[in-house]
Amino acid sequence: MNLTVGALVRSGLLLLAAVVLQLSGFADLRILGGSPDLVVLVVAGTAYYAGSVSGCAFGFAAGALLDLAAGGTMGVSSLVLTAVGYGVGRFREIRDPAHGLLPVPVAAAATLGFVTTFAAVSFMLDIGATVSPLVVRDMLASTALDALLALPVFALCLRVLRPALAVDPFERRRRRREPRDTGPLGLRGLEV
Amino acid sequence: MFDKKVIRRRRAALAVFVGLSIALLTAYFGESGGGVLHALQRGAQEALAPIETGASRALKPLRDFVGWVGDSFDAKRENKKLRGEVEELRSQLAEAQTAKRDVSQLRGIVRLRRQSGYPQGTQPVAARVIARSPTIWYSTLRIDKGSNDGVRVDQPVIASGGLAGKITGVTGGTAEVTLITDASSAVSAQVMPNGAAGVVRPEVGDPNDLLLDYIQKGRRVTENTTVVTSGFTSSRVESLFPRGIPIGRVTKVDLDEVDLYQRVHIEPFADLRQIDLVQVLTRRPDTRSAEVPVP
Repeated sequence: MNLTVGALVRSGLLLLAAVVLQLSGFADLRILGGSPDLVVLVVAGTAYYAGSVSGCAFGFAAGALLDLAAGGTMGVSSLVLTAVGYGVGRFREIRDPAHGLLPVPVAAAATLGFVTTFAAVSFMLDIGATVSPLVVRDMLASTALDALLALPVFALCLRVLRPALAVDPFERRRRRREPRDTGPLGLRGLEV
Repeated sequence: MFDKKVIRRRRAALAVFVGLSIALLTAYFGESGGGVLHALQRGAQEALAPIETGASRALKPLRDFVGWVGDSFDAKRENKKLRGEVEELRSQLAEAQTAKRDVSQLRGIVRLRRQSGYPQGTQPVAARVIARSPTIWYSTLRIDKGSNDGVRVDQPVIASGGLAGKITGVTGGTAEVTLITDASSAVSAQVMPNGAAGVVRPEVGDPNDLLLDYIQKGRRVTENTTVVTSGFTSSRVESLFPRGIPIGRVTKVDLDEVDLYQRVHIEPFADLRQIDLVQVLTRRPDTRSAEVPVP
């Protein structure tokens, strides 16, 4: 990702919108006990297209803003989202996948990783009470909801970040295609 | 991708951000409520509050829609749960009502046995009604006690309020009771307190009305007087029913000039259509205590 002022502004606005929407709307959307986590999706989407370094930076910033705005323990979300951003970015760098539906399992894995690690860190830090097994159900519900929202959110991330990306994913996909059939031999000369 | 510089840069970035996060965590836990990070948090919350309010209002329709969908699922689940509870409560209510009814009938039987003039020493055996004759007259019942419990044919049967009938068939574990409303039934009875004697016969088709027949015209019978078994005995025959068991209350007296006898209508004390518990008197009573008080 090319680190320009425009890219920073766009990323910052995307991040702020994700955090605000998450806190003021999405956190209340309780479906089957869970709610979609837009911030994780945006971090995963950004890391998916921008790479591991940008992913972990974006994850850290998203976590810090989330902790600031939500009033949680500072540093917990940053730590976990940094790991999520780095992990998704590395997956993209190593595997270089091209399938159009890949954001769905990526988002599911990122969300599951986030909720599990977040729970573990919170549990280690300051949760002294008994934890209900229903937490697992809520985690799985959030994972499923994020998987459902993955395609539009990833598409939005790509749209916002595309001007700043070092490698355009669509360009790369176009490069991979088979060369087009140019037609019968007799007409080749006409194409020139 | 495998450039060492890139790898180092990537790892350094990760280490920096993880380190920053841990530093934030440590600092946050280390400082008091009025520390820098806490103040920063409060400031950020205040700054974001207007945006969050606007976003919250904008997203309200979406929240309402999702809430409606979720509520529908919850309502279905809750409906199912409540239906289960209703069924359970209905079952409990039925049990409680049955128990209440049983208690009421048992109390009636006990009260009957405590009445003065009721034959003593009859060794009653309590039994539950397990079947009824399917006709509209309810003339026979089947009870859950039989010869194994000492029940024999022709033993009298009482229910809450008064006389119910007699045993007409016995097996090891069950017995058949023919009620006093059965067409074949006839019970020698007396009207108290004047002692006018007659025979109680059913009026077939109306279990709430019995007829006391064969009462001479000269014996004055008035309404609301009580009719009890007379326990008639002679040198040859003996009434199946011991003396002093209440049968019913006189409701009407027909004084026909042509007939030789009065026709006295009796309403039985026992509700013969709704008997659940009865007692079979398995022994002949002690005659010394079976005297009916005559004023």
